Amino acid sequence: MQKRSFLKAALGAAMLFSASVAAHADDVLAKVKAAGVLKVGTETAFAPFDFIDAGDHVGLNVDMFAEIGKELGVKIEWVTLPWEGVLPGLEAGKFDVVAGPATITKARMERYRFSAPIAEATVAILKKAGDASITKPQDIAGKAVGVGKATAQLAQLTEFSATLPSKVDIREYPAFNDAYADMAAGRVVAVANSLPNIAFVAKQRAGMFEVVLPPFGKPTYFGFVGTKDADHKSLLDAVDAAILKMKGDGRMAKLQEKWFGTKFDTPDAVKDPAI
Amino acid sequence: MSFKLFNLLVQASAWTIGISAISIAIGFLLALVLSAALLSGKALYRRPAEFFISFFRGVPLLVQLLLIYNLLPFIGLNVPSIVAAIIGMSLCTAAYQAENLRGGFESVPRGLVEAADMVGFTPRQVFLRIKVPIALRLTFPALVNEAIMILKSSSLVSVVGIVEITRMAQDLASSTYLPIEIFSSAALIYLVICWSVALAGRFGERALPGGAK
Amino acid sequence: MIFDPNVILKHLPEIAAGTGVTLALWIAGMLLGVLIGFLVATARRYGGRFIDLPLGLVVEVLRGTPFLIQIFLVYYGGPFIGLSLNPIPCGLLGLSIYASAYYSEIFRAGYAAVPHGHVEAGECLGFSRFQIIRRILLPEMALIVMPPSVNLAVILLKESAVLSIITVPELTTTVSAIGSQEYAFLEAIFLLAVIYWVIVEAAARLGRFAESRFSTYRFSTP
Repeated sequence: MQKRSFLKAALGAAMLFSASVAAHADDVLAKVKAAGVLKVGTETAFAPFDFIDAGDHVGLNVDMFAEIGKELGVKIEWVTLPWEGVLPGLEAGKFDVVAGPATITKARMERYRFSAPIAEATVAILKKAGDASITKPQDIAGKAVGVGKATAQLAQLTEFSATLPSKVDIREYPAFNDAYADMAAGRVVAVANSLPNIAFVAKQRAGMFEVVLPPFGKPTYFGFVGTKDADHKSLLDAVDAAILKMKGDGRMAKLQEKWFGTKFDTPDAVKDPAI
Repeated sequence: MSFKLFNLLVQASAWTIGISAISIAIGFLLALVLSAALLSGKALYRRPAEFFISFFRGVPLLVQLLLIYNLLPFIGLNVPSIVAAIIGMSLCTAAYQAENLRGGFESVPRGLVEAADMVGFTPRQVFLRIKVPIALRLTFPALVNEAIMILKSSSLVSVVGIVEITRMAQDLASSTYLPIEIFSSAALIYLVICWSVALAGRFGERALPGGAK
Repeated sequence: MIFDPNVILKHLPEIAAGTGVTLALWIAGMLLGVLIGFLVATARRYGGRFIDLPLGLVVEVLRGTPFLIQIFLVYYGGPFIGLSLNPIPCGLLGLSIYASAYYSEIFRAGYAAVPHGHVEAGECLGFSRFQIIRRILLPEMALIVMPPSVNLAVILLKESAVLSIITVPELTTTVSAIGSQEYAFLEAIFLLAVIYWVIVEAAARLGRFAESRFSTYRFSTP
């Protein structure tokens, strides 16, 4: 927290610097501003960040990027893919930044640049309401548990499973929504996902699903994702600046309150993620 | 299931129909070139055409779409979702349509060609006035079939980010937990589209010269 | 981006397992599809209008809707009517039903293509209906249905990739998961295309070989 003013200054300097090189042809921020459009890739089955509510794409990400767009003076164009295709799409240059969000992990940090955290991502278990056979995370040993394909939550579940007396029967779904649907259908007894997500689902489907506390995963955070190359640096710096500004003036807390029913105490940057 | 949800599916069908129609048309033009190459008798033209057809008939459309969407940027062609979907479906249907057309050209009765020769048609005239109309007439039912196949295959373009009927149904089913109602409605919309095409095909066949009266 | 197939190839055992699942589902789905398809075509031919019409409608519905929608309906809709299948059985069921609709049409055309005189000749000789099917229709039909059946088999092999969407651990699922895990997306998709291409080409060649061996038994009909 005390680092905020320093970061602000640093980001301000970075923005100044990026502004001075904005004329460079390959600079993505300059291109985005010239086109007036920021392309954002995401999947739409990750409530409450991105989901389809009666046909409309809504969620925290939509609201966050609307604000970020205002800060940058550009419109937001959404490109929605299955999650498995989102990070490859980013690398292929299909969009400028990924909403997602993605859990900030060591392995991903080697390959991608994360924005300032926007929410907590610690993994917990969602079960069917009233299921007495699961009262603590360890109770999923030997049972069928759903999780999203190519996700950090999957990696954490796998790691947790290895510590249990009998392994978890892990089922990988294209999207977490499919996993919830399959829990409703009875093929899996639980779904492992980040707390903000399952808290939202449990609230939306009260009487159907229930969160099992405490979370079993290590404390982690969600951030937006960009590539590490120099061309994208100015854009991601600008996105970071916008997020931190929203955090500073209380807009982010308001949005968290709107979508999660609670506020998260997130750091300004994650340097050394727990996983 | 509400009317609003059904309406969303109907709206999404515009994407299904649009992408399929454009792909069929582009695929047809490509198929003309490919079938000409196949029938040219020159290995220089035939081999690449055979290679193309073998690849696009040998790899699942799902994989082709992913390949086109993610691979093209690395050769400097960063195409948006809609273009990737159309390219993928056009190339795939071109491979199938080319085989159909080749079959059609090969079934043009030899006697007709010889007769045209006798009355002094130039090779160009023989091709344009005899071979093309007859081959198209012969392959028309196969073209209608292929159009239906492509309409159904378009359910896969969601992997490159197009929200057509199937993807919309998936999104709605996972947010409403009404999978039976929603997927059945989607199936119904596909049926209406496919049956309309089949029906139009049958009318077209009758209207074409040489059709069953 | 560096194109390095080795990061994928070190997962060879998993890829082999995925290929095995694809091949097993394909062969089982095809055999079941042929069997059900034949029964449907036979029932439609001999069962009278009250069997022919409803079965015909079912076949048309199955042929007029995408495989993906059918799979979603069985997988996500099934549990709501008490049919909660795991991905592999669900995939097998879906693939066989889908295949049976197309095979039934092939067999229907096959039945229609056998010259009526041959059936009448059998009747004159006092063959029972079962004997006519077994001794006359089936052998003659086998020649007629062979080429479209081989074609359909190849199409089914490719359609089975769709099962990856309901988490069946087949080839597409396995290889794309490895791609995500190793951040080698492009290599994975590329490898996937090559593997399918090789399998499909091999299957198509095998089919053509079977066709040509089979056709030596062809007899001429006036």
